[in-house]
Amino acid sequence: MSKPQDLVQGTLDLLLLKILTLEPLHGWAISIRLRQVSGDVLQVTEGSLYPALHKLEQEGWIKAEWKQTENNRRAKFYSLTAPGRKQLEAESANWVRLSSAISRVIRLKEA
Amino acid sequence: MPWPRWRYVLPLRLRSVFRRGTVEDEMDEELRFHLECKVEEGLARGLDAREARYRALRAIGGLQQRKEEIRDMRQVRWFSDFAADLQYAARAIGHSKLFSILVVLTLGLGIGANSAIFSLADALLLRPLPVYRPSEIVTVSSFTPNSFAETTGPLSYRDYVDYRDKSKSFDGLAAFTDVTGFGFASRPGQPAKLKGGILVSGNLFRVMGVRPELGRDFNSEEDRIPGRDAVVVLGNDFWQSQFGGDRSVIGRHILLDGIEFSIIGVAPKTFTGLDQYVRPDVFVPIMMWPRLIADPKRNPLENRGDHELMVKGRLKPGVSIGQARAELGVIAKNLQRAYPKTNRNREIAVRTEFAMRLQSDPTDAALIGMLLALAGAVLLISCANVAGLLLGRARTRSREIAVRLAIGAGRFRLVRLLLTESFLIALMGGAVGIALGYGGIAFFSRLNVPTDLPIRLSVQLDRRVFLFSLAISLLSAVLCGLAPALQTTRTNLVTALKTADVEIPGKRRLWGRNALVICQIAASLALLTAALQMVRDFQQKWRGGPGFRTDHLLTMAFDPQLVRYSEAQTQRFYEDLIRRVRALPGVTSAALTGALPMGTGGDGLSVIPEGYQMPAGKESISVDMDVAGDHFFSTFGVQMVRGRGFRETDTATSSKVAVVNEQFAKHYWPNSDALGKRFRSDSPSGPLVEIVGITKTAKYEWMGEPPTEFVYLPFAQHPRSGMTLLVQTEGPSAALIEPVRELVRNIDAGQPTFDVRTIEEYYQKRVVSAPVMITQTVSAMGLVGLILAMAGLYGLMTFTASRRTREIGIRIAVGADAGTVLRMVLRQAVILVAIGIGIGLFLALAAEKGLNAVFATSGIDFAAFLMILPAILGVTLLAAFIPARKASRIEPARALRYE
Repeated sequence: MSKPQDLVQGTLDLLLLKILTLEPLHGWAISIRLRQVSGDVLQVTEGSLYPALHKLEQEGWIKAEWKQTENNRRAKFYSLTAPGRKQLEAESANWVRLSSAISRVIRLKEA
Repeated sequence: MPWPRWRYVLPLRLRSVFRRGTVEDEMDEELRFHLECKVEEGLARGLDAREARYRALRAIGGLQQRKEEIRDMRQVRWFSDFAADLQYAARAIGHSKLFSILVVLTLGLGIGANSAIFSLADALLLRPLPVYRPSEIVTVSSFTPNSFAETTGPLSYRDYVDYRDKSKSFDGLAAFTDVTGFGFASRPGQPAKLKGGILVSGNLFRVMGVRPELGRDFNSEEDRIPGRDAVVVLGNDFWQSQFGGDRSVIGRHILLDGIEFSIIGVAPKTFTGLDQYVRPDVFVPIMMWPRLIADPKRNPLENRGDHELMVKGRLKPGVSIGQARAELGVIAKNLQRAYPKTNRNREIAVRTEFAMRLQSDPTDAALIGMLLALAGAVLLISCANVAGLLLGRARTRSREIAVRLAIGAGRFRLVRLLLTESFLIALMGGAVGIALGYGGIAFFSRLNVPTDLPIRLSVQLDRRVFLFSLAISLLSAVLCGLAPALQTTRTNLVTALKTADVEIPGKRRLWGRNALVICQIAASLALLTAALQMVRDFQQKWRGGPGFRTDHLLTMAFDPQLVRYSEAQTQRFYEDLIRRVRALPGVTSAALTGALPMGTGGDGLSVIPEGYQMPAGKESISVDMDVAGDHFFSTFGVQMVRGRGFRETDTATSSKVAVVNEQFAKHYWPNSDALGKRFRSDSPSGPLVEIVGITKTAKYEWMGEPPTEFVYLPFAQHPRSGMTLLVQTEGPSAALIEPVRELVRNIDAGQPTFDVRTIEEYYQKRVVSAPVMITQTVSAMGLVGLILAMAGLYGLMTFTASRRTREIGIRIAVGADAGTVLRMVLRQAVILVAIGIGIGLFLALAAEKGLNAVFATSGIDFAAFLMILPAILGVTLLAAFIPARKASRIEPARALRYE
């Protein structure tokens, strides 16, 4: 599986879970949301989005449902499950720990 | 409560496997939707349709790769791969039918041999007790350094009660008697039939965790007052056969030995009994014992010296068998102090069921071990053959495999594919094996003792045998599949792709095949010598005959105690019987015996021969014995060497006499005539018995036994209830069955007769069939082994010769003659055969040691080796010669054009 090179491993999972906390979204909407929220900083290849979504689904963290979009087309909507919510909390906490540690290290260098 | 994760995951996995099409369609639709959105976005930004579509596809980055990635995420890859492999394997097997049939049959032979032998071993030794958590059950036995029955040493009721009440290691200790004959009648006035049951302590069903199928088991009240509660639990088989499984039997009454018993329960079908053989018809509370014994002098419930109970207990959770042993050991010491008269030196043993079975019949255990080893050897041979065959075929596929490797298949993935194929073959072999094994089981189930009592060896094709066969099949799949799979995938890509069939004859590639050939020769040599030696051994043992009459003799067993005869009544009955039978027309002579040799009723006696120096620590010697009436020796055809047999003048009041066999006489009076010598019986203070006759040493337990010491005591001086009548007839003895029965009815219409047989039938069923079957089994296995080995050798030789086709072609082209080529190909074969025979001889000698232990023979049967060695040599060299000659006649032009 090709991974987005500019993302720390596992970060994509975290981002996807976070995006899905607000509302159920289909893949296309998720890719637009990703672009919007992260600006151009986080470049996610659209292709790697779907393997990542399917992985989260197979892990039981998100679930999928076929529903109609606002312009009446069938699409696969993903939403967060209870275990997914827990996973998100754990990964967020992890991320915060990691990033604060890294920023401490960097500040140490500057000092 | 939110759903746990697996509630989301499991349906997805199942869907990925079973609704694969739908899942794929959905994936396509999802990606298509994304692409369409992307294209629309592009169009909205003013791109033309082609450009928009192109960009959309670019953004996805390779649609097919993405799909593969998504499929990987489903985590059921291994399964769908397996399904695909299976399909492929089935196709490959169907493709080469003849090859597959050969392979499946070869494996089937090996697996079938194992299924059959395992079912026998299971019936005799391995099957756990049919009770709740059988591993917690241990056997308690008591013994003195003197007693000969150390292994199954029974306890007295009083000792049992002390152990039960004073020990803390057990969740209950239960006691039961050996199988006891009951005269059974379903209502008063009906003639009694012989049935076998056991007397049990009231807690037996609870300790064993066995719940009755119907009604209840015994309560503690019924385990308290001797002789009061005449209640009975029926065995399931008995309930089915006598009452047709009638569920209303509870509360009804039956007669056992003339006493009315009320039926309170029926044992479940699964509970077949407390050992491998006896399937009790009825379970009777032990408190009824005194009433069932007609003899008022005997009271087994009170007499601490009356050792007749088997005891089994359930260990408490967390208590080890060692702790239980230590605790009971202390109690045993206390009992020794408290009751010196009965318990002097009496010790206690606690054993697992398996250890008990092993020790109570070491001959059986050794025999089973040997048969299992033989079956294992046959399986190894057939696996080796199949491996050889697969290897041969894998070679023809080396190009296909090289192509697969070249286009990127992983080696592990290919090994898996090839293993799947051998699994499929092994499963088919397993099916054939179970069919063959079923035949073997039918064969073994003939191995039963002829008796009217419910004693049965249940060799059966059950779940255990089935699972064992399955395990063996899977094992053989790995055994015969792994080596070829590994070797084939170790192909050198470049050479394999360049030329289809050239192989570099490096040492490394050959060791496996050579080892296979060597193993086959070695194993079949060992197997065949063992089989031949057994056959020869049996033949030799047979030559002398059993030492008793095997024709014109009718046997009929009685036990008047079953109809509550007193000792005096019994005595009168037998006197009457013998007198009247002798007067019957067509009867040459008639006599009584306690038990037929090689039957189930053998007895033991403790003796102290006068003037014989006892080995240290021993008070007496135990020998096998029989009780015999007057004219027994002439009627039964036991040859008197010196002295006399028993006569009417040997009575209860005359001086005690005995007849011994030559082996006994020779052992204790090696330098003088035993006739007229005396021994004490039972104990050092027991009565003196004079030897009045010496017989030829006959066979007493089985035909293969070494010469065994034996003592006969006169019936008149040792009265007992259960005796067997022997009637020697002028014509066919079967013709006298009815007249004798009629005569018995005239004496007492209610007197049960059982085990009515002609000696021919008895001899055939009991004496001849078992050893003949064992020999047949081993010979059959040896033969199967030989056939397998021959096929394997021929196949491997053909294979090795054909590998060198090109090389041989070149040699012939540059001038080698046929003889040189022949010698060259044969040289390898000769080396392999020599090594194989060397190892085989070594194995055969080891096997010989085992056989000697079992059959009590000594020395090496050189004749067996002399017969087998040339045969193996001839067969192997012939197997090598045919392909070698073919190779030497290769046309060089064709060989070089080979690919």
